[in-house]
Amino acid sequence: MANNALARIESALRERKLDRTLTSALAPLDRSDAAAFIPFGVEAIDGVLRGGLPRGQVSEIAGSPSSGRTTLLLQLLSAATRGGEITALVDTCDRLDVASAAAAAIDLDRLLWIRGESFDSLHSLRAIKALTLVLQAGGFAVVAIDLADVHPRVLKSLPFTTWLRLQRIVEGSDTACLLVTPEPLARSAGGLTVMCTGRTTWSAAQTQSGATQQTRHTHRVTGLETEIRVVSPRRRVDGAVRFTAVANDY
Amino acid sequence: MFGALYAAEGTDQTVLESVAREFSPRIEVCGPREITLDLSGLARLFGDARTIAHELRRTAADRGLRVRVAIAGTRTAARLFVQHRAGITVVEPGTEADALSALPLSLLSQPPTTNHQPPTTTLRQWGLRTLGEFAALPADEVAARLGPAGVEWQRMARGEDGRPLVAAVPEERFEQTLELEWPIDGLEPLSFVLGRLMEPLSAHLERRDRGAAVLHVRLHLVTRAVHERSLELPAPMRDARTLRTLALLDLESHPPDAAIDRITVAVDPTPGRVVQFSLLTRPLPPPEQLSTLAARLAALLGEGRCGSPELVDSWRPGAFAMKPFAPRDSNALHASTPRRHEDTERKNLDSLRASVSPWPIPVNGAASPTVVLRRFRIPIPARVREEDGRPVRVWIDRRGFSGGRVATAAGPWRTSGAWWEEGAVAPKPRSGEGGWDRDEWDVSLAGGATYRLFRERRAEAHSAKADTWFVEGVVD
Repeated sequence: MANNALARIESALRERKLDRTLTSALAPLDRSDAAAFIPFGVEAIDGVLRGGLPRGQVSEIAGSPSSGRTTLLLQLLSAATRGGEITALVDTCDRLDVASAAAAAIDLDRLLWIRGESFDSLHSLRAIKALTLVLQAGGFAVVAIDLADVHPRVLKSLPFTTWLRLQRIVEGSDTACLLVTPEPLARSAGGLTVMCTGRTTWSAAQTQSGATQQTRHTHRVTGLETEIRVVSPRRRVDGAVRFTAVANDY
Repeated sequence: MFGALYAAEGTDQTVLESVAREFSPRIEVCGPREITLDLSGLARLFGDARTIAHELRRTAADRGLRVRVAIAGTRTAARLFVQHRAGITVVEPGTEADALSALPLSLLSQPPTTNHQPPTTTLRQWGLRTLGEFAALPADEVAARLGPAGVEWQRMARGEDGRPLVAAVPEERFEQTLELEWPIDGLEPLSFVLGRLMEPLSAHLERRDRGAAVLHVRLHLVTRAVHERSLELPAPMRDARTLRTLALLDLESHPPDAAIDRITVAVDPTPGRVVQFSLLTRPLPPPEQLSTLAARLAALLGEGRCGSPELVDSWRPGAFAMKPFAPRDSNALHASTPRRHEDTERKNLDSLRASVSPWPIPVNGAASPTVVLRRFRIPIPARVREEDGRPVRVWIDRRGFSGGRVATAAGPWRTSGAWWEEGAVAPKPRSGEGGWDRDEWDVSLAGGATYRLFRERRAEAHSAKADTWFVEGVVD
């Protein structure tokens, strides 16, 4: 057993798979390297995204309410934390449901949750400053900011250099910066911009109730069907992909 | 040369220790009223052993203590004599075995130096009465009958030490104080002063291989008030720059009211941190870095706004708790493997395989995504038109939220709780406090968004004008 383990380590060393754990002076990530991506842990999504979310880039998930953008965000955080890495979420409008996060199998001990207070201009700027601090600290696999409920007027009032500055901070690092927005904002050339559209699926069951034994249709949310499409201009894609999130006790 | 002090009942242990420390830095507390001390080299200061013994007794008497003193070449002999004889006993080094030979055998059970009590009854049945008689028995015969412990007791009976003296280390204070000639106002000048205080403190911690568990900053103000702050650090740390930054960031959030006269910085020490890096997993940022980040975020957003979320044992909708962000190292989990049998080995290999893969492999396989609720921490009031007890149209008077016709609705699911708590008569759905009693609905609007609504039942009963419908979250 010990010999097998040793052989595996030697093999991993030969294939340079341990390069990212053996030194703190990291070489820039190569796009052909699988370690340059953080997978979502869903085969269909990782397939279409060619491995997942790129490290060292600013990426975006955009969509309207009930489009599955938060599901996708928590799925990414879940995959990263279960892989032993640490993540951070700047929750501008304080929207994270902790029970949903636990149901998504996020290791909560590995999630730094930064709770904003409001979605006005001042608090949005504070949230972006908090995001900058976390990115500058380094060591996080995913640093996400949830701007989904911030009013588009406030988002448009932010200087465009904000996103360029974020890109400059994460460039060359092992961190993937992720924006969750109502519509694409940063449009980074190196990162991914993913558009989500979705609809909830319902089930109907016939039940009889009351003294008259009337038949009633009782519905229940069974899932959320989400279609994701990569809209980055410089990114080769394999088309859109659909996945279904199962309704647990959210 | 070793000495033993044995004090009368009711003696204050700390006073006894202070008496012993006046003579030797190497002392060992052997019991509630008993201390042994290493007296090597004291002959040049005081004279012979008897003079030292008298000096010890006199010093103790000055402190109001009545003590027995015994001095011998070994600790064990000194302890046995001090248990047996009152006053002062001095035994010349090398003659311990002879001097102890006449002492009763029962003394062996007095000093609790071994894990097992000697079988004094058995020894008496063998016809033994004194330590000398027991010491004279052949060691191999004693070992055959009483085991290895028997040989140990026999060595004690000869006055031989089983182990060296383990010196008790006095509690050290890790504290630095600086009196200022001129009061300082503002954080910028304070940062220089704090840096000057932290550097010797950090060096002191490093010399003792200690880290700071809690950092105390006491600022004596010109108004005679004392501004005190304590920072609990997530991991033992002793880097001067980190400690200074943490103290400054905390003071930025909680500044003193007036100019500062005197500054005291103290730390609660704890054993230093030993870090073992892993070949197979990415290293986590050091605790110093995470603490500084947490302090900066707290200064920016306020206390309690960042940390790790935690589930709480409650049925209250949206209940959660926050705790400091301190991710545990996955290596620690590997190190705590209790037994290494085949299954464990296989699991270790699986984890090794997962680790050497550049992709983070989920521990329990690929999990399917689950539907997520975006929860409005403060529920948003809504107007709802009902038909036949079911919502058919929703208006949300909040910018950015669209109401509309209800396409599909599921519910109601009635929940209530905390109605037994004091003050729960008036529910406060907007603050999430008090009891709750409500009907929940999941509604899909014609626009495509799916919301979770609830109707507060008791608010409806209390006031007709009160908001009764709220939007709790959106399925996303």
